[in-house]
Amino acid sequence: MTFIILNRLFQAVLVLLFVALISFLIFRFVGNPVENLMGQEATLAQRAALEEALGLNDPIHIQYFDFLWKAVRFDFGNSYRGALPVAELIASRLPATLELALTSALFAVIFGVFMGIYTAINRGSVITNFILSSSLIGVSLPTFLIGILLIWLFSVELNWLPSFGRGEVVDLGWWKTGFLSESGLKSLVLPAITLGLYQMTLIMRLTRSEMLEVLRQDYIRLARALGLTNKAVYFFHALPNILIPVITIGGLQLGSVIAFAIITETVFQWPGVGLLFINAVYFVDIPVMSAYLLLVGFAFVLINLIVDLSYFFIDPRLRDSELKDEA
Amino acid sequence: MERFFRSDFFYHFRHAPVAIVSFVTIILIILAAIFANFIAPTNPFDPASLNLMNGFTPPLEANEFTGERFLLGTDDQGRDLFSTILYGLRISLFVGLMAVLLAMVMGVLLGLIAGFLGGWIDSVIMRFADIQMTFPSILVAMLIYGVARGILPPEVRYEMSIVVLIISIGLSEWVPFARTVRGSTLVEKEKEYVTAAKMIGLTRQQIMLRHILPNVLSPVLVIATITFALAIIAEATLSFLGVGVPSTKPSLGTLIRIGQDFLFSGEWWILLFPAVTLLALALSINLFGDWLRDILNPKLK
Amino acid sequence: MTIDRTMIEPLLEIKNLSVSLKKRDNISVAVDDLSLNLYPGEILGLVGESGAGKSMTGSAILGLIESPLYISAGTISLQGRSIIEAPENIRGSQISMIFQDPLVSLNPLKTIGEQLIKTIKTHFNISKAEALDRSKKLLSDVGIDPERIEAYPHTFSGGMRQRVVIALALAPEPSVIIADEPTTALDVSVQAQILNLLKQLCTERGTSIILITHDMGVISETTDRVAVLYSGRLVEIGKTSDVLQRPQHPYTAGLVASTPNIDPSSFDKKLFQIPGAMPDIDDVPDGCAFHPRCEHARDKCQKHRPPLFDARVSCWLSEKPGGTL
Repeated sequence: MTFIILNRLFQAVLVLLFVALISFLIFRFVGNPVENLMGQEATLAQRAALEEALGLNDPIHIQYFDFLWKAVRFDFGNSYRGALPVAELIASRLPATLELALTSALFAVIFGVFMGIYTAINRGSVITNFILSSSLIGVSLPTFLIGILLIWLFSVELNWLPSFGRGEVVDLGWWKTGFLSESGLKSLVLPAITLGLYQMTLIMRLTRSEMLEVLRQDYIRLARALGLTNKAVYFFHALPNILIPVITIGGLQLGSVIAFAIITETVFQWPGVGLLFINAVYFVDIPVMSAYLLLVGFAFVLINLIVDLSYFFIDPRLRDSELKDEA
Repeated sequence: MERFFRSDFFYHFRHAPVAIVSFVTIILIILAAIFANFIAPTNPFDPASLNLMNGFTPPLEANEFTGERFLLGTDDQGRDLFSTILYGLRISLFVGLMAVLLAMVMGVLLGLIAGFLGGWIDSVIMRFADIQMTFPSILVAMLIYGVARGILPPEVRYEMSIVVLIISIGLSEWVPFARTVRGSTLVEKEKEYVTAAKMIGLTRQQIMLRHILPNVLSPVLVIATITFALAIIAEATLSFLGVGVPSTKPSLGTLIRIGQDFLFSGEWWILLFPAVTLLALALSINLFGDWLRDILNPKLK
Repeated sequence: MTIDRTMIEPLLEIKNLSVSLKKRDNISVAVDDLSLNLYPGEILGLVGESGAGKSMTGSAILGLIESPLYISAGTISLQGRSIIEAPENIRGSQISMIFQDPLVSLNPLKTIGEQLIKTIKTHFNISKAEALDRSKKLLSDVGIDPERIEAYPHTFSGGMRQRVVIALALAPEPSVIIADEPTTALDVSVQAQILNLLKQLCTERGTSIILITHDMGVISETTDRVAVLYSGRLVEIGKTSDVLQRPQHPYTAGLVASTPNIDPSSFDKKLFQIPGAMPDIDDVPDGCAFHPRCEHARDKCQKHRPPLFDARVSCWLSEKPGGTL
């Protein structure tokens, strides 16, 4: 098992190095760092000095390693706009995005799994049919339209919930959280639903089809024949067996949640890294784009790794087969 | 046997209405876009035809200053919304279509090459595809868009933005095509007609393009339909985020972005009509794509 | 087993049971007007080709039939009380079931101990420790080392897993076990072990068995009585030795004659085949369902469905005394 974990770690590092390479190439070759840092008025000598200082004359692989080494220490250079360190910019906005992503992922997983199981168990009921057909429309609806729809309904018409911003945040010193104030929690509702709705639909459909598949298995028939209650059949027998596919997709969805946060953050003017990124794209702020790519790449690789490894804790068959391979 | 025929017939009958309605919707929308300059009362892209006094006219009501009436009302700049939507559709559909074509050509070619040649070329292409697939395509498109804007000199960025948009979306959607074509190619290249073609001395290109390609196209059609819907939504999303087409030539996404600003002030029509149009288009293409997938390959469901 | 069980009150009584399949406009019948009795302590075989309705009958008894299939007529009663309205009350506790393929009959993600304890605790209000003890006892009864109680199903062979399934079926202490082709998926060498184990454990406990199989060899070695099904209908029923040695229905005779024999004198003889195939359930002919394949078929067989004569055979040949084959 340690062998497998090491193997997966190795692969993850390879993918990360590849993402870092792309991130580096963008950082180094898109736009002109010297131009962006000094402006038009700088003299040739000043430019040459800066080029030397930035290491732009070194061999390319040295520059790549330099980039990696700096990245490990969270040094991504300065933003072209406002000349603030990129790491600082990202660090100040990361809590907002992580709180949003986490809330919406929880919302998506809890409701998705619950509704998936419900619609699988109550096939053909009125509520099931309603859930299934509205989910079809939900899949076709672009994220930003969902957000606007929610704003129109809950902010404009009903005036229940705020339509933008994070509300009041509490500073914990190392983390600014919106979880601890009423306005912060209220502000979180609409963005979290917007961001989680699509993933919830996916998880629901997956849970449902997996559940239907599992309920056809012989061990479920045997369990029923042995007189087990519905509760035991669904939760003792069926639920563990749908966990693997649900975790796989659910985990990958968590990754998408981070990426789709860009759209939600724009709709709700949520001060997170997504909004930072989209502004960077708009103003061609290369260091921010490059650092964002690296950050998201790291998040994705980490999530994939956790998903992969979680299989071993759920499925005894996998655990044993890997043990045998190792021996 | 008779029973099988009857059940199949029943299946088609039950599903056909959805397919017909969605297909007709798509065709109507496409026709409206193509003939926009005949249908639309004004040309919203022509600054000379605009009258700022006409701004914020509600649908079917007379403007309080000019007395003019507009079917779907006007936006903040006094553009007739009906005309703007028709012209916006043109841009949305054009970008979507070109992006799908780009993704398709690229994906099919790379898939053919990977499947037919195998070896390290196959490994490199498919490994790259795997890594790209771990990122959502909208994120990939945004990155490519940002990079492309960085490469282009600032003075042409504005006029090139539609081309940049097409390339970004196209490059973000090639992987499903490549995977499918590669899979089919692996199957096809083992068949006898390929061996025969090799024996009579045809070159690799000839075998790939003339013999294998036509045999792997039917799943490509299904993916193209679904990708078309994805591309239209991607375009709308990027334009909504403000990194798509310029607001002087608004697409549906740009119109929705403009409309959102007036949601609180009560000018609901500026948002509603473009949003409904986008929704109808995306939903129809999705439903039609689903139906097509069921017909061409029932197993995929 | 020579006691005439028909003199005792039946344990399980199936009367005029029909299971139908609803498909759009037409309804076809999978189990057709079937009546059977099961007596305490006996092993009753249900034999027939696949599609004859044997498994469906088993599932119907436990109420495990799912739409589009449904019980369209008949009664099922256990010790005189109808169980058709609330079959969930007797599942496990009164009647449990064993399925064909032990490889998929156990939950792969739960240890065999967890599955046994869950089953026991469903039916008996006892502590977990007691349930654990009972589970270990059951495992050793079925010939599995109780130390392996925390092992997962995939670590057992097919035969061992079927032993676990038998332990599960016995756990709620039912009075009837329905065994649906319990050995079909197993190696030939293991089949006899499993059948003997099942037979021994049920005899010890006084549990009756309904053994569903298509294998005449299994029937002859294991069962006390046998019911032969064809197209969802009962064609012949009686003591196993009687039915196999003196079959009265042409179909039973065909089944017996087409069973391979290891007797060396029969080696060079060609195996008997019944011509044709059993009809689909939505295409059952009028009259006797078997008549198109029957060499003794007469006009009457094509038009009228034969009743069960002498509580033994459903064939017009047996209508009057002397009407044998």
